[in-house]
Amino acid sequence: MRRQLRSRRAPAFPYGYRYRLDDQDEVNQNYLADEEEEAEEEARVMVVPDLEEEEEEEEEEKEEEEKEEEESQAQETGSAWWRKWQIVNEYLWDPEKRMSLARTGLILVIYFFFYASLAAVVTLCMYTLFLTISPYMPTFTERVKPPGVMIRPFAHSLNFNFNVSEPDTWQHYVISLNGFLQGYNDSLQEEMNVDCPPGQYFIQDGDEDEDKKACQFKRSFLKNCSGLEDPTFGYSTGQPCILLKMNRIVGFRPEPGDPVKVSCKVQRGDENDIRSINYYPESASFDLRYYPYYGKLTHVNYTSPLVAMHFTDVVKNQAVPVQCQLKGKGIINDVINDRFVGRVIFTLNIET
Amino acid sequence: MVGGFSILLWIGAILCWIAYGIQYSNDKSSSLDSVYLGSVLALVVVLTGIFAYYQEAKSTNIMASFHQMIPQQALVIRDSEKKTVPADQLVVGDIVEIKGGDRIPADIRLLSAQGCKVDNSSLTGESEPQPRSCEFTHDNPLETKNISFFSTTCLEGTATGVVISTGDRTVIGQIASLASGVENSKTPIGLEIEHFVHIVAGVAVSIGVLFFVIAVSMKYRVLDSIVFLIGIIVANVPEGLLATVTVALSLTAKRMAKKNCLVKGLEAVETLGSTSIICSDKTGTLTQNRMTVAHLWFDNQVFVADTSEDHSNQVFDQSSATWASLSKIITLCNRAEFRPGQEGVPVMKKAVVGDASETALLKFSEVILGNVMEIRKRNRKVAEIPFNSTNKFQLSIHETDDPSDKRFLVVMKGAPERVLEKCSTIMVSGQEQPLDRSTAQTFHTAYMELGGLGERVLGFCHLYLPADEFPATYSFDVDAMNFPTSSFCFVGLLSMIDPPRSTVPDAVTKCRSAGIKIIMVTGDHPITAKAIAKSVGIISANSETVEDVAKRLNVAVEQVDKRDAKAAVVTGMELKDMSPAQLDELLANHSEIVFARTSPQQKLIIVEGCQRQDAIVAVTGDGVNDSPALKKADIGIAMGITGSDAAKSAADMVLLDDNFASIVTGVEEGRLIFDNLKKTIAYTLTKNIAELCPFLIYIIAGLPLPIGTITILFIDLGTDIIPSIALAYEKAERDIMNRKPRHKKKDRLVNKPLAVYSYLHIGLMQALGAFVVYFTVYAQQGFRPSALLNLRVEWEKGYVNDLEDSYGQEWTSYQRKYLEWTGYTAFFVGIMVQQIADLIIRKTRRNSIFQQGLFRNKVIWVGIASQVIIALILSCGLGSIVALNFTMLRPQYWFVAVPHAVLIWVYDEVRKLAIRLYPGSWWDKNMYY
Repeated sequence: MRRQLRSRRAPAFPYGYRYRLDDQDEVNQNYLADEEEEAEEEARVMVVPDLEEEEEEEEEEKEEEEKEEEESQAQETGSAWWRKWQIVNEYLWDPEKRMSLARTGLILVIYFFFYASLAAVVTLCMYTLFLTISPYMPTFTERVKPPGVMIRPFAHSLNFNFNVSEPDTWQHYVISLNGFLQGYNDSLQEEMNVDCPPGQYFIQDGDEDEDKKACQFKRSFLKNCSGLEDPTFGYSTGQPCILLKMNRIVGFRPEPGDPVKVSCKVQRGDENDIRSINYYPESASFDLRYYPYYGKLTHVNYTSPLVAMHFTDVVKNQAVPVQCQLKGKGIINDVINDRFVGRVIFTLNIET
Repeated sequence: MVGGFSILLWIGAILCWIAYGIQYSNDKSSSLDSVYLGSVLALVVVLTGIFAYYQEAKSTNIMASFHQMIPQQALVIRDSEKKTVPADQLVVGDIVEIKGGDRIPADIRLLSAQGCKVDNSSLTGESEPQPRSCEFTHDNPLETKNISFFSTTCLEGTATGVVISTGDRTVIGQIASLASGVENSKTPIGLEIEHFVHIVAGVAVSIGVLFFVIAVSMKYRVLDSIVFLIGIIVANVPEGLLATVTVALSLTAKRMAKKNCLVKGLEAVETLGSTSIICSDKTGTLTQNRMTVAHLWFDNQVFVADTSEDHSNQVFDQSSATWASLSKIITLCNRAEFRPGQEGVPVMKKAVVGDASETALLKFSEVILGNVMEIRKRNRKVAEIPFNSTNKFQLSIHETDDPSDKRFLVVMKGAPERVLEKCSTIMVSGQEQPLDRSTAQTFHTAYMELGGLGERVLGFCHLYLPADEFPATYSFDVDAMNFPTSSFCFVGLLSMIDPPRSTVPDAVTKCRSAGIKIIMVTGDHPITAKAIAKSVGIISANSETVEDVAKRLNVAVEQVDKRDAKAAVVTGMELKDMSPAQLDELLANHSEIVFARTSPQQKLIIVEGCQRQDAIVAVTGDGVNDSPALKKADIGIAMGITGSDAAKSAADMVLLDDNFASIVTGVEEGRLIFDNLKKTIAYTLTKNIAELCPFLIYIIAGLPLPIGTITILFIDLGTDIIPSIALAYEKAERDIMNRKPRHKKKDRLVNKPLAVYSYLHIGLMQALGAFVVYFTVYAQQGFRPSALLNLRVEWEKGYVNDLEDSYGQEWTSYQRKYLEWTGYTAFFVGIMVQQIADLIIRKTRRNSIFQQGLFRNKVIWVGIASQVIIALILSCGLGSIVALNFTMLRPQYWFVAVPHAVLIWVYDEVRKLAIRLYPGSWWDKNMYY
């Protein structure tokens, strides 16, 4: 219907037809012309503060009102700044309502108390939370199990690129390893830690909060990779040492009688790219005496056991991807998403 | 409707893609996460857009049926042949023939007419049929008798005319184009939502930019800062709100459709609720649009007839012998007849052949006396003079149904003064008495009184012809008038009016108590308009117009202070001379106004005048003449049954039962949905803080990210959707019909208290609660809060695979990532649990939950169930899908936030209690949203 009748306001009315319609059109137009002025006036007249209104809004309105007034008067009086000053003044101290900045202050105080009590509630919650959590033993360890694996030296990257004849390219590995092994110095280990019997858990019963002793893991266990005989850890001869450590997990115990072993091989490509690897300790395993771990708080001097891989005969001048895996019962080393659980993959590219 | 959000989300999506582009150019193996996120955001925008469109389209479809019109045919004489052609093929100069029942196919000037009457009510609002002849009687085309208008109906008679204009150039076409010239302004709820979008977008953009700057100045990489910006935008924008609002509105629209209010545009649902002025048409809206007997006068007494829709309750005294005579005249002196084949139809609904007054009399007598046709058969008609404008009376001669009485009975009805002239006696209590000066005086008083009520008065008289002069075989000749036409016995008066619908007065009262001003705008006569206005309560019983005051005080109209008069009756002529300022003054100073004899343009002016008062104006109407005003109004309401197509297409709402009372339902539903939308928005906004805080803390304190962007989307578009729709089912808290309509500029949908309370009170409590869950998960896994501080950089380094926690355990980067997702899930569950509390507290704004009833709104519980189920599915079933970043969560973590949820509930109950206890206090003003 509408579509049918919609027009471009087609006039052309014969027979004095436009009489009534036209007449009012004119009225309408006049009226429209007046409308805007009218509306403005209206706006000024209509601002009647409602009793139920918010005080603040009222005040805002007042301000607006005044601004409007100000606008209308500004041109005549030119005292805009004075008016503005008055507005600010009124905001600070409104003599009629006997209200002032103090009210803003009051609001702030109320909010302060509100948030303070909220904070108190949250603190209370957190406090109860900590009451239920032992500081010695994490409540759950399922996310951190099975253990991850990390190697040293490590400098942001798992690619070992170096040139045997250019010490600059491998010097930082040596420095890194030396630094890392400081804590394993024989003298330090003998002083701080106990020599516990191998092949069995080093279980220390007693109160949770008792300090626990740690088993010695001496640097000398690493033999050729200890850096004691060859301070360059084999890098100068193109036979790099890489240390492998298993991530610490509180309470983790490998299966008894079957220590976790390390075995490395070429990940992809020709298996013969690596012709021989020496492991130190020779068992290539983490002895059971280093488990369980009792946590940072009581097991202060705990030193993670290490396995050093000495790549004595690796193909030179080509990148060899190496995968070192942990093997043993209860060890998972094939998680697709996590390439550091039970295994570590790195490349060796030794140039001569 | 919520276009602002879409733009923000588009910006978010594009930023995502840009971020990926930068990442990709640096590192070819970078993850596709940000591409996914960007695509998801784009999908959200597109889907919600499609959804809103679909909802809109569904409700517009209902209206489409109204547009389907049966193509109109016209009988035209071309080439000296009568042809039937579609009306739209008529051209100026065609000669068309019209007969009773036809719709006039174009504006025509009549060449000949036989007893032609047309119904112009859709054009002028006059409910009486207008006679048409070929004489030129008036300069004004609308008044002259020799023009009939397109789309009006020919009621009876036949006519031939020449087409003088067609299509858009017809008067109706002009009005229609006037209507289409009126631009569609935004609906109030549209404005409110826009305002709300501005607030939220403002918050989102300013916080986003602020933290972008902070991040950059904290030496974050620009790329990371962009990612933060995306997170902040996503957290701030209530993605699900567009869908929610649309659904809530369409639910209300459905509910209103059930109650016979059909809403065309969804947004119009709310408009009626905020309406402060209703400009109502009279004919067909307030009245039944049919003449009905309203008063009787006989035995020197005025009797009131029942004018309700079914006439069932006629209580006036029917024992008088005068009534017996009067009823006989009413029955016999009437040419109207029921159409055959309507046995089962109630009397008032039967179709009648005959003009409006005769129809009224026929139905009146049928209801009171029973089978009128049978009575007429028994009193066989022997002669008849039909009504014509020169005689102004109608006369018929009958045999009597008394076999022993051989006299003929002459019955006459007509204009009272003409009838009285022919009378010499008057019947009082069945006895004929001479008509003296005093009885004539009482007759005049009654006549004036009934006339003053705006009613059309008819006089009735009869005469028994002596049997000796007029034997049974006497042949009456109506042309020669061979029978007496004077010395009749005057029996009584009957007055008719187009009576108000019975439901209207009640509806008007309800609107009044709801603070809505009702203005009557009609094309009809001022007297009739005023009478109807008085009878329905638009002019209340004790208020006076300026003229009334003048009459009472016996002074000139000019001397009366206009402010003394509450009511005003203004005619179109007066309105024409008024300046807009005067009109404003009129509208502002009088609470009860009737505009009579107005033209379509003037209706438009009146509506604009009302809108200048900052009022939200509803216009009701049915005629084509109303359509411009319907269009101009904030909400146009057309009548579904009697309404013309032009009116329906211009209107925003159609009352399917033509019942003005349905408007009250509409107002109620509109106000309810406004309140409930407030609740929905408050509910939706609250969690924004809980979603935003993690990002801010992440940037500033360097915690591992507590909640991911995808997870936020799962809250906004997953768990929160059904609950927020459920709030639309909430019942009203107090009698919403007893409060004033909201002020367009002051009572906003989203006001300061709402934003402050949602963001800074409940939102913050929620954020803290969710953080507690987050910290609990991390602490129980080995990372105490102290260890988390500033851990972000190390935490996110992919090559660090032996990061130490508080217990000295070492984590690989994927283990950390997995823990982070567990944290997301925990935070998500924390928010979800507290949103349940939020949902419950949002059921009311002032009353206690227990006053409102926890279980009255069952949908809320469906919502809560959906929340829990969706969360369970996400964390259990879909936990294995890596891209979603959800993991399984230990059952106990689901309950960590419960104390906080309870705290939220208690806090809100305290807030409501304080509001109820100290109305008007600082607390009330700042905490009641």
